[in-house]
Amino acid sequence: MKMEDMSLSGLDNTKLEALAQDIYSDLVEDACLGLCFEVHRAVKQGYFFLDDTDQESMKDFEIVDQPGVDIFGQVYNQWKNKECVCPNCNRSIAASRFAPHLEKCLGMGRNSSRIANRRIASSNNMNNKSESDQEDNDDVNDNDWSYGSEKKKRKSDKVFLHSLKQHIPLVSFIAVEIHVLYVVFLSTCNCKGANR
Amino acid sequence: FYWHCVQQHARFIERFGLKELLRAKLTECGWRDQLKAHCKDVIKEKGLEHVTVEDLVVEITPKGRVLVPDSVKKELLQRIRAFLAQHAT
Repeated sequence: MKMEDMSLSGLDNTKLEALAQDIYSDLVEDACLGLCFEVHRAVKQGYFFLDDTDQESMKDFEIVDQPGVDIFGQVYNQWKNKECVCPNCNRSIAASRFAPHLEKCLGMGRNSSRIANRRIASSNNMNNKSESDQEDNDDVNDNDWSYGSEKKKRKSDKVFLHSLKQHIPLVSFIAVEIHVLYVVFLSTCNCKGANR
Repeated sequence: FYWHCVQQHARFIERFGLKELLRAKLTECGWRDQLKAHCKDVIKEKGLEHVTVEDLVVEITPKGRVLVPDSVKKELLQRIRAFLAQHAT
């Protein structure tokens, strides 16, 4: 229903009452439609009849509350102290240390690029102090620097996207507000033409 | 002009608040569950695979309008009248 853009003061009581009834039936219809959409989606996604399962089957999905076991009944720290073989350096690493080791071993992940950049910076300082073979060293360092800065740009892009995703509810609210202001603007333009 | 914008904005927000209020009240009083049960009948009749939104809307909306409890209807109409009175400057 469009926003009322005429002034309400000119209406008498019967018209106001009719307007109230209109708004009421509009609201009820909105609620009904909302329910229809929800139910239709539940049907098409297959979860509409879920609460009709019999007691017996429901027991299979009850939350498990035992020590040493997660809510699905699976043991969760079974592999904590197992050892894995790193495919890169073929060393035997403990499972809980495996992920950080792999980060550094493969040269990926946040910390390893920082460490690499620091090493480059310190070796660059050392090379600038020596006088012989300066050109060759500079060329080698140039490649490393550009690779490092590319990594930095990618990293900051990822961080930016992640923070942007967190603001999606805010963004959609702002979009609604902008739409409202646009509607208001249109209606006031009409008002200005007609009454004022 | 500015004040008019603010008023329009307030009306929009109030409308939205009334919507939420109605939904909450209807859920509370069991209207939703009643209608959902009716939906189940419609779905069983039309078949789970073939039921469309139109089918549901045509079957559910008239019943939904009728099933709203009187107390909820009264309260909502009261609020709407108050809202209109407030903005009839």
